[in-house]
Amino acid sequence: MMLRTIAFNTFGTFLRDKVLIVVAILFTCGLLLMLTPLLGAKAIASMGNAAQAQSMVLGIVSVILIFTSGFGSLLAAWTAADSVATEMKSGTILAVMARPVKRWQFLLGKFLGVMLLMCAYVAMMLVLSYLLALIGGQKIHSAPWIMVLYPLVRYSIYAALAMALVTVMHPVVAWGITAAVAVVVMIVEPTGQPVQNVAWRWIKNVLYTVLPSSGLLSEDRFLAIKEAAIKKTGWLDHVTTLSYGLDYALVLLLIAMWSFHSKSLRRD
Amino acid sequence: MTAAIEFDSVTKVYRRGLGGQEVPALTHVSFAVNPGEVCAFLGPNGAGKTTSISILMGFHSADSGQARVLGFEPGDVRAKKQIGFVPENFAFYKHLNAVKLLRFHAALAGVPLGEMDVRIADLLSKVKLTGYEKLKIGKYSRGMVQRLGIAQAMLGDPQLLIMDEPTSGLDPAGRKEVRDLIFSLKAEGKTIFLSSHILSEVEQICDKAIIINRGRLVREGTMQNLLTTGDKVEVVVDRVSAELEAKLQEWGATQEQLPSGVKILLPLERKREVVEALWTAGADVISMQPLKSSLEELYMQVVGSENPS
Repeated sequence: MMLRTIAFNTFGTFLRDKVLIVVAILFTCGLLLMLTPLLGAKAIASMGNAAQAQSMVLGIVSVILIFTSGFGSLLAAWTAADSVATEMKSGTILAVMARPVKRWQFLLGKFLGVMLLMCAYVAMMLVLSYLLALIGGQKIHSAPWIMVLYPLVRYSIYAALAMALVTVMHPVVAWGITAAVAVVVMIVEPTGQPVQNVAWRWIKNVLYTVLPSSGLLSEDRFLAIKEAAIKKTGWLDHVTTLSYGLDYALVLLLIAMWSFHSKSLRRD
Repeated sequence: MTAAIEFDSVTKVYRRGLGGQEVPALTHVSFAVNPGEVCAFLGPNGAGKTTSISILMGFHSADSGQARVLGFEPGDVRAKKQIGFVPENFAFYKHLNAVKLLRFHAALAGVPLGEMDVRIADLLSKVKLTGYEKLKIGKYSRGMVQRLGIAQAMLGDPQLLIMDEPTSGLDPAGRKEVRDLIFSLKAEGKTIFLSSHILSEVEQICDKAIIINRGRLVREGTMQNLLTTGDKVEVVVDRVSAELEAKLQEWGATQEQLPSGVKILLPLERKREVVEALWTAGADVISMQPLKSSLEELYMQVVGSENPS
């Protein structure tokens, strides 16, 4: 009951957050702008030179999906950091923590509120994926649950990381570090090409081991449109990969709870 | 009997800046508040009142010493179930209205769903916010927000109310309403721990006062004991004859003419002698009581001297 109350209140706060609304509008404008070349390419494909145009369409679809997916990670990190920091800044946390609420319950409630928002975001992303595939004249062969669970697990990692950081630092710094981690993760992701420099190879390996693998947890690899790519991934692989992500998020969340447990609560 | 609030040699030091400069907030503060008492917690700004309340609520931890609330460690949910807290400048979610905010707090306080709406309506009526239920709290005046803060504190029918400046931002009528509310809570046997700067109100409401200054306890006691000067008695009579006036001067008493009689201040040890003389001289003794100083006088005496303005 307590967790649900905090989670829904957090979710309700997000829906009325003016900054988030502005960012969402800008993001939608960006998407609409990206749709313009996509529709143009589609029109060309219907007129002639179909193969080249089709390849263009798929390229644009892929960019849009990467864009929405990356934005989701940043959104998860920002909302997680902001949800805790705003409570401290406004002082609402004092009235809430005066209730019979344990600190871990408060933080978990906030985290669940963030995940509710991300569920809504993933649902929109899912619709967008099908819409883009339709425009591109393709079919998404991946099961919808994959396109829901994978991004959610990935977002839970970034939300938990930002939450852990915001217990000890300013939310903008926490978000910045999380964003930097997301970028580093993409850089150190194995590309299949050999790395000549030994030091760089060592650094890449260490970082790839330590940081969460968003490539592994990316639903993009199942959106390859080619049905054969999906058949290679069995249930056990899915369970293992998702468990890896959930485990990572859980550890980060536990660190956040531990750090928040001894934090002095005051109006910032 | 377990004290409602107990501070035993509590010390708290803040560390500020990169160098970790130590700023003592509380130094070996000890006091106790018994169940059913209305206790004022007084001190100038920066004396350590909010830090003490934060420790009581479990928002901060003490560096040394021990604090107990209703027999539990501060922050223990078993204690928090029985505590209502009115923070200084009650903060709220701006997008909610009063009913939604109180529902949120009621859910956290564990108020059963079936009782929630009745209790909320009752509390809103108690704090005179009926009719403003649908208005967003962001549009409330400061006084209305403060009254809403008091309502949320009473949601769980708490045994102990901790109020940090509950009447700040209220107009005289609003202050009187809060005062009446505290009187009614006192009549119900609730324990109230009240931090305030409005000493005249505190004097009317509280049974006991604790005064801290610069993080140290400087005075503690029942209002009766704190305000009684101990060495003088105040007698009010209808008149004093000229013959008696000379005698009173001789006994070290002073007189002051009141609209309804004469007020005589006399040394405690002359009490019987003077009253007998007054009776014999045919004066009507209207009242007699130990001389009391006001709380403001006491406060200025114990705190003012250390905090030159």
